[in-house]
Amino acid sequence: MSQLVQAEITGCRETAPGIWVTEFLAPSLARGAMPGQFLHIRCGEGSDPLLRRPISIHSVDRQSGRVKIMFQVVGKGTAWLAGRRDGFIDIMGPLGRGFTVFTGEQAGLDCSNPRLVVVGGGIGAAPLYFLLQELARVGCVQQVMVLLGARTANQLLILDAAKVLGFNVRVATDDGSGGYRGLVTDLLAEELQQKTDFVFACGPLPMLKSLCDMLRDAGVPGEVSVEERMACGVGACLSCVCRVKDTGGIETYRHACVDGPVFAVGEVLL
Amino acid sequence: MNTGVNLGGIVMKNPVTTASGTFGFGLEYQPYVALQRLGAITVKGTTLKPRLGNSPPRIAETPSGMLNAIGLQNPGVERVAEEIMPRLAGLGVPVIINIAGDTVEDYAQVARRLDGVPGVAGLEVNISCPNVKKGGIQFGSDPHTAAEVTRAVKAATGLSVIVKLSPNVTDLVAMAEAVAGAGADALSMINTLLGMAIDVDRRRPVLGNITGGLSGPAVRPVAVRAVWQVHRALPLTPILGMGGIMTARDALEFILAGATAVAVGTGNFVNPRATLDVVEGIEQYMSNHGFTDISELVGLAQRYTGEN
Repeated sequence: MSQLVQAEITGCRETAPGIWVTEFLAPSLARGAMPGQFLHIRCGEGSDPLLRRPISIHSVDRQSGRVKIMFQVVGKGTAWLAGRRDGFIDIMGPLGRGFTVFTGEQAGLDCSNPRLVVVGGGIGAAPLYFLLQELARVGCVQQVMVLLGARTANQLLILDAAKVLGFNVRVATDDGSGGYRGLVTDLLAEELQQKTDFVFACGPLPMLKSLCDMLRDAGVPGEVSVEERMACGVGACLSCVCRVKDTGGIETYRHACVDGPVFAVGEVLL
Repeated sequence: MNTGVNLGGIVMKNPVTTASGTFGFGLEYQPYVALQRLGAITVKGTTLKPRLGNSPPRIAETPSGMLNAIGLQNPGVERVAEEIMPRLAGLGVPVIINIAGDTVEDYAQVARRLDGVPGVAGLEVNISCPNVKKGGIQFGSDPHTAAEVTRAVKAATGLSVIVKLSPNVTDLVAMAEAVAGAGADALSMINTLLGMAIDVDRRRPVLGNITGGLSGPAVRPVAVRAVWQVHRALPLTPILGMGGIMTARDALEFILAGATAVAVGTGNFVNPRATLDVVEGIEQYMSNHGFTDISELVGLAQRYTGEN
């Protein structure tokens, strides 16, 4: 169950230019969190910036109760957050629906022999590390291919961490400074030549759009995490809507905060 | 200490409710707020038929505020009455349902459907939504139409009727007098201020709806002024004051200006416990300053006219 906590900051570092990792102590939050869920964080003390910022959970250590977020500084809220070195931050969470594969057998996967692909683009890699932690915890490492994309090599996130967990990783950069020169979805196209059972993805909208098209054409199921402007974070204000086609083809809306931010491929119209 | 108030027939154990549209149907905030401690719960704008709402983006943050253009997305009065109210009725907290419509008859039909639904204590008639093409602001900018909607709703229900006024008018007091004269049991103010924001990098409006309603601390002085003016003109008509309330001190500004009760809106997004913080802060203030009944504070600042 989501809660409001004042979490003590235990660490903060710039992991790549403009990308920060902040660690804090929140044992009760760590216990209940699932990969793909997010935290709604107050980024300031006064009324400007006013609204909380939704930031996905980057990693969780359930034993020590430590939680990390990884975020890009894009405005005054995230700039304020990046400036916190100690003290407490005001957090609501965990919120939203994460990657469903670990909440039971919804995805129809047992981890003995499926082949999974995890695709992260830019800062979208942030929540996927928590997913990799959970996959590793259930002994699902050799069956997973991790694909990471970024504009340039020093913007590649979670690369070393994924390797430390033992995952196979392939990388793509726009400028060719690391790995394949081109889009991470080009690597996905290659991977889809082999039998693939499920794909997890988070990244910029154009990446998710082409990924969803590719998976639909290949008939491979998957889940994508989307980003929307958000106010309340709990399904009350109805701001963060994503278009969906419901049965009967009628267009309606789902809410990224409670119905997502992770949606099944094909569920939302990106 | 008595913090109970009577808002046009709605008996509240404290003067604090939620602003429509910011608290969903209440249940969304249950992990953070013991709902039974609220004076009342005011829920999302409800229309006769379900409404899909506006195209995204629906919100934009602005200095000390936010713009929204949700567009009255709601499941329709039938589902609110059949599915949502049974879950709220057991809380023992009066529920105020905000209602909206495209025509005067729409308002009357929604009001009629909600009459007698267990748990519903009152209706807040939204004649001031700035974000829908029909229904809403055009009813709230002309005193005659506003009075007509008020009369139609009053005739359709035995529930307490609060009429929510827009600040986007030239003469707010004339609007207030018109709806009070038409039988409104109370007035709520203010709805959001019409505004817009432009994305300079993309050279286009931020909101899908182009314009939206401004809320949050940025609008508070406008709202306090509105309550002050209307209470001065209509001292016997109870007012539900709202606009940028984040703390008890903010709420007390409204009460001292003449509001019988207050609503926390955008503040819920910032602090999900804001409503209860306001309840507790008002009690603390009363105790610190020796007030034993909240009614002693209502309109107290009106003693000062600027001449003394």
